[in-house]
Amino acid sequence: MTDPVDPSALLTTDPSRRPGEGSGRGGPPGGPAPSWRKDRILPSSPFYAIVRWGGAGLFAALLIGLVISIVSGSSQAFSHSGMGFLWSGTWNPAGGDYAAGTLLVGTVLTTFVAMVIVVPVGLGVSVSLTELAPKWLAGPLGTVIEFLAAVPSIVVGLWALLVLSPVFAAHVEPFLEGLPLLGHLFHGPAYGPSILLASVVLAIMTLPTVVTLSRSALGGVPLADREAAMALGATHWEVIRRTVLPGARAGIAAAITLAVGRALGESIAVAMVIGNRPAVPHSLLAPGATLGSAIVNQFAESTPGLGTSSVIALAGVLLLLTILVNVFGQVLVRGRDARRAVRVGGVPA
Amino acid sequence: MSAFSSAETALAGAEAGAGAGPDARLAQAARDRRELMRESARRSLGRRRMTGRVMQVICLIALPVGLAPVVALVYTTIANGAGAVNIGFLVHAPTPPGIPGGGISTAIVGSAEIIGIAMAMAIPIGLFIALFLFERRGRIAASIRFSADVMSGVPSIIIGIFAYSVLVETFHHFSNLAAGFAIGVLMLPIMVRADEEAMRTVALELWEAGVSLGARRSRVARSIVLRGALPGVVAGNLLAIARGVGETAPLLFTLASPTFAMTLLIFNDATQPFPAAQQTAWGTALVLLVFVLTLSVAARAVAWALNRKAR
Repeated sequence: MTDPVDPSALLTTDPSRRPGEGSGRGGPPGGPAPSWRKDRILPSSPFYAIVRWGGAGLFAALLIGLVISIVSGSSQAFSHSGMGFLWSGTWNPAGGDYAAGTLLVGTVLTTFVAMVIVVPVGLGVSVSLTELAPKWLAGPLGTVIEFLAAVPSIVVGLWALLVLSPVFAAHVEPFLEGLPLLGHLFHGPAYGPSILLASVVLAIMTLPTVVTLSRSALGGVPLADREAAMALGATHWEVIRRTVLPGARAGIAAAITLAVGRALGESIAVAMVIGNRPAVPHSLLAPGATLGSAIVNQFAESTPGLGTSSVIALAGVLLLLTILVNVFGQVLVRGRDARRAVRVGGVPA
Repeated sequence: MSAFSSAETALAGAEAGAGAGPDARLAQAARDRRELMRESARRSLGRRRMTGRVMQVICLIALPVGLAPVVALVYTTIANGAGAVNIGFLVHAPTPPGIPGGGISTAIVGSAEIIGIAMAMAIPIGLFIALFLFERRGRIAASIRFSADVMSGVPSIIIGIFAYSVLVETFHHFSNLAAGFAIGVLMLPIMVRADEEAMRTVALELWEAGVSLGARRSRVARSIVLRGALPGVVAGNLLAIARGVGETAPLLFTLASPTFAMTLLIFNDATQPFPAAQQTAWGTALVLLVFVLTLSVAARAVAWALNRKAR
């Protein structure tokens, strides 16, 4: 099966290379950089190298192809409206107006309201599961919340449209309108489909992201930190508030950022419950539209040429937005891992 | 601080029986002070405990608030869908609105075809990329890893537009192939990261042992790395497939008819005002939910079983 190794090759070492000088080639995967040349000591087959490099090349081609196809598809829209596509005017295909401004407002607004709902709830759930609930309860409950992540968005959308929306129209929205101070946020007729309902749906869909990532961040705070706080006489809550939460701050920030990325890009469930009216909403109970929901609704009806190109341009704006948020989130995740590695290594902060 | 500690010393002296004088006065002051501190600590401890209780209750209230949607969603899907699902529902083709006796067979077959195409594409390529990341360190590997992480956060609707402009626009027709391509691209970054994580769990000593036997890199990768990583690879890929099956947005731009996939059928029927269509949507949602849940449970079960066998 294997090729015989030339024994002389095994004896040959290259003194010009020292440990730690790895160019990224050869050596044990993930281990220290090798002091020897891989091609001398490790018999390899060209087929395997082709497979690996082919995979990597294909991935790079996919990424570049994705960006190129979106950019070239949207070029017509941008040459028609200029950069004003991003903020000016309204989305009105009948009048030949194509602009992402109102949709951007809708996207940011729904995501923001969703985060206002999901961050306290998600943090409360994470703290309860990691710090307060007994182990036999926390395990199954955590699994149930993570199961929500596996539920297809279309099923959440169906449920929100046929079950949640009537409940909102009949009970929740009239109740919110009656609130003394917040009432002016919630005025106008209670239809059911609205910015608020879309935000609630987004909050439900991003909850597992927030909970799963914050739980691992909270669980990663060293026991020694908690013990130190307890030794100083802190109560159970003070240990959580002053030690565990600050220790997990970076991880929680990453969890929220990635949840924001997911909320920005969710399209199908939002399209089902937001009411699809591309205008700047005057209240949270008004119907609205987001970038994703507009793409879902406008694509089939768009006229070939400028219409289709404008929808693809919306996708381009959305792509840029989500990539920015996700890069930020990944940097946060990586920064947290790096810091923890330093701590485990015993280097005093 | 220093005054206090000198008082403590004086107190110790006083308790040892040094008698009256300045030492005794100091000792009395220290005793008073200690009592004062105890008293204020007792009072503030009550307040601190109370705050803690209240905050803990607030946190615990979040638990049912967070769980309620999951429970309500699963309950209503089962309650509304169970009436629609029967053998005929699963094996009959859809009928036009108003004509009874329709099923979702085309959607089930279509979903299976799409996910099959996506798996045939994404599983091997995902493994190749993961092997690349496993074997190589340095900037290229780091940037591929980073972009895979970022790409798994790219909205599925954008992947759909990508598949539309690559396959549908070029060949001028909507097809299951284009849909499968879109779902495959969507699953690829998730699979790559899961595969690589699984490979990293294989002990470095085993890799070294394989190399020291004179095996080729490819042989070590196949017989040691892949074999050791198999539970994680299978579990991770099953989870990615579960996510791929449930995607709707990419199919919107690639599929010829909404009756060719379960998710798109739900989207189509849910937005119609006919109760019969909504009933079909609930039934399809139940079938889809059961399927996705089975995949998620299977992922855990397979990983567990293979792990046990490996020992």
